[in-house]
Amino acid sequence: MSAGLVILVVIAIATAGFFIGRSRSLSAVNGNIRQLHSLPGYYGQTVFLAAAVPALLVAFGWLLLQPILVESQITNMIAPSDIAEGSSRGLVMADVRRIATGLDVAIATGALTEDQLGALSADQSDVRALLGSVGVALASEVKESVLVASKTYREMTATLRSAMAIIVILLSLGGAVFSLSRIKPDFRARNVSETAVKALLILSSTVAILTTIGIIASLLFETAHFFRLYPAKDFLFSLTWNPQFTGGSDLGILPLLWGTLYVSFVALVFAVPIGLLVAIYLSEYATRKVRSIVKPAIEILAGIPTIVYGLFALITVGPLLRDYFAQPLGLGTSSSSVMTAGIVMGIMLIPFVSSLSDDVINAVPQAMRDGSYGLGATQSETVKQVILPAALPGIVGAVLLAASRAIGETMIVVMGAGAAAKLDLNPFEAMTTITVKIVSQLTGDTEFASPETLVAFALGLSLFVVTLGLNVLALYIVRKYREQYE
Amino acid sequence: MYDAPNLGATVEQKDIKISAKKVQVYYGETHAIKDVDIEVQDKTVTAFIGPSGCGKSTFLRCLNRMNDTIDICRVEGDILLDGEDIYDKRVDPVQLRAKVGMVFQKPNPFPKSIYDNVAYGPRIHGLAKNKAELDEIVEKALRRGAIWNEVKDRLDAPGTGLSGGQQQRLCIARAVATEPEVLLMDEPCSALDPIATAQVEELIDELRSRYSVVIVTHSMQQAARVSQKTAFFHLGHLVEYDDTANIFTNPKDERTESYITGRIG
Ligand SMILES: Nc1ncnc2c1ncn2[C@@H]1O[C@H](COP(=O)(O)OP(=O)(O)O)[C@@H](O)[C@H]1O
Ligand SMILES: [Mg+2]
Repeated sequence: MSAGLVILVVIAIATAGFFIGRSRSLSAVNGNIRQLHSLPGYYGQTVFLAAAVPALLVAFGWLLLQPILVESQITNMIAPSDIAEGSSRGLVMADVRRIATGLDVAIATGALTEDQLGALSADQSDVRALLGSVGVALASEVKESVLVASKTYREMTATLRSAMAIIVILLSLGGAVFSLSRIKPDFRARNVSETAVKALLILSSTVAILTTIGIIASLLFETAHFFRLYPAKDFLFSLTWNPQFTGGSDLGILPLLWGTLYVSFVALVFAVPIGLLVAIYLSEYATRKVRSIVKPAIEILAGIPTIVYGLFALITVGPLLRDYFAQPLGLGTSSSSVMTAGIVMGIMLIPFVSSLSDDVINAVPQAMRDGSYGLGATQSETVKQVILPAALPGIVGAVLLAASRAIGETMIVVMGAGAAAKLDLNPFEAMTTITVKIVSQLTGDTEFASPETLVAFALGLSLFVVTLGLNVLALYIVRKYREQYE
Repeated sequence: MYDAPNLGATVEQKDIKISAKKVQVYYGETHAIKDVDIEVQDKTVTAFIGPSGCGKSTFLRCLNRMNDTIDICRVEGDILLDGEDIYDKRVDPVQLRAKVGMVFQKPNPFPKSIYDNVAYGPRIHGLAKNKAELDEIVEKALRRGAIWNEVKDRLDAPGTGLSGGQQQRLCIARAVATEPEVLLMDEPCSALDPIATAQVEELIDELRSRYSVVIVTHSMQQAARVSQKTAFFHLGHLVEYDDTANIFTNPKDERTESYITGRIG
């Protein structure tokens, strides 16, 4: 019985349990719902939960543990001599799994019977050709010990699977029967379902938190690995970034950090004033009709994929800046530049800044505006002296969030600013950022053993620290602002 | 519409601060104020009473053109302040609001210091030539708002940190600081406890010596305590307008009587 089928059966049992539970609760009080502690549906839910939750938990746990258990048993069956030169135990185990699947296919298609399989021996017949004929291609000839291991693997998997099916279904039935027996008029089914909802919510947030922790842990782990191969001092303070895949590279983060901050700064210089003015216009001046057209139009900007912005940087903005600004001013001849990437990224951030600020400005109570107009202030005086100061913390929060997006942006930088790591003040020079270098260090070679590839994790961690810091700061400011009006 | 003030009108104007004739207010299709005629006297407290939704706030907001800030609101008829039509094209609503101050139902100090709250109007209208003058204006306004003694040592503290009653008196001081001629108050005590209410009522009585005060209230006792004139509104109509004593002891209209005796409301 396949795992999917088992789960379906459990759900079917639980669903049946729901209906039985519901009608049972009703018949317990002869259809008089008022005598029940909870509505009948809640009694049905308790049965559903008791039938489904423990059974499914066991099923998932089993599915996770079974391969680990089986592999630990099988792996000892392979003699060290059968592991070919240049191969590893892991690769052989992959073969074992593949052969086991192949044998399953062969039996399913009738190319092999169970009896023939029992007698099959790698020394006497060509297993590779047999499996190839049913569509499972193998890289090398099958050794006898590997074939035996595969057969055992197949058998163990099948036995464990059936065991799981039986246990899980029994558990489900048991849960259903147990909770059906608990249905009495004064049983607090509503509270049980409340607890279940709470558990579900806690579970979801745990998943989110654990994922974050997992990602951070793996970043930390690999970064520590990197620092064993490459001195942390050089990484943090060296002024050159010059990776050599033959070894002896300079992996200083400073030029990349500089590029990142420079591009982000240019982007914010463009995005923040424009975004803010847009937000003020939309929330204070625009009539409802204009607002209903302009707001969605600006938000479309937010829906454009960054690669499209990148194209725009590469093909339009870059050459334009080079021909009309950089070259006439004698500042450079490169169409990739900090300016190009910064401007285009700024355009990308406008809707981000404007819609966040718009929310913040709208959250300023109408009473503030009334108070100011009532004293004879004009609209722009009101905006300048009452609304913006009141909204300022929220706006700062919006800007910081925009900044952390700018810092994490990759595509626009690759296409707009180039890939040259440089410490330079000239905004018309090509420079590059942390994100771009993470990508370029990882493309092609993916064996994580050399400092040249592991540095990606250290870069990622640095980026994470910077954006996390900004986000925390932004959240802190936004929260403080909220308290003001509550 | 309105013609230049004639002689007959000027005779009355000694005492009449605001005069409204045939005022209609619409919110889109809703006809919120119907044919209201009223003459508000100078240096008098005038109370607007009536069941909620009858248009008291709407009419009050016509008197300083606060309704201009509501898109769908439309005002018809004439409203004269000292004989001049405030809805005339030549009148700048912003200037008008400096002359006709307003205090709102919920205290709404700006999230600024107490000092800056009061100095807000004078700064906008350039009433002070220098810091010393501004200090003086702020102190005078806070004294008139009967809150000076409570805040004189913490003028730099945020206005939002005061208690509800103090906040409302701060808002009154803020309105007074621009030297208005008329002070409009929309249920200024409805968010306050009885003690703060008593303080604000006392303050209103003092303000009468310098300003014409119009106060909307849903408390008839309050109207009786603070006002000399009372206007009773019902379903957008001005039903009865008379001396407060007459309204409460000898109402002419039966709707007024039912409201005062608690049968409608
Ligand atoms: N901003 C507005 N938009 C639409 N209708 C309004 C608005 N303000 C008030 N009204 C309507 O105008 C009428 C009078 O309201 P209001 O003047 O606030 O009454 P009161 O202050 O006497 O309780 C009510 O019917 C109300 O629904
Ligand atoms: Mg009202």
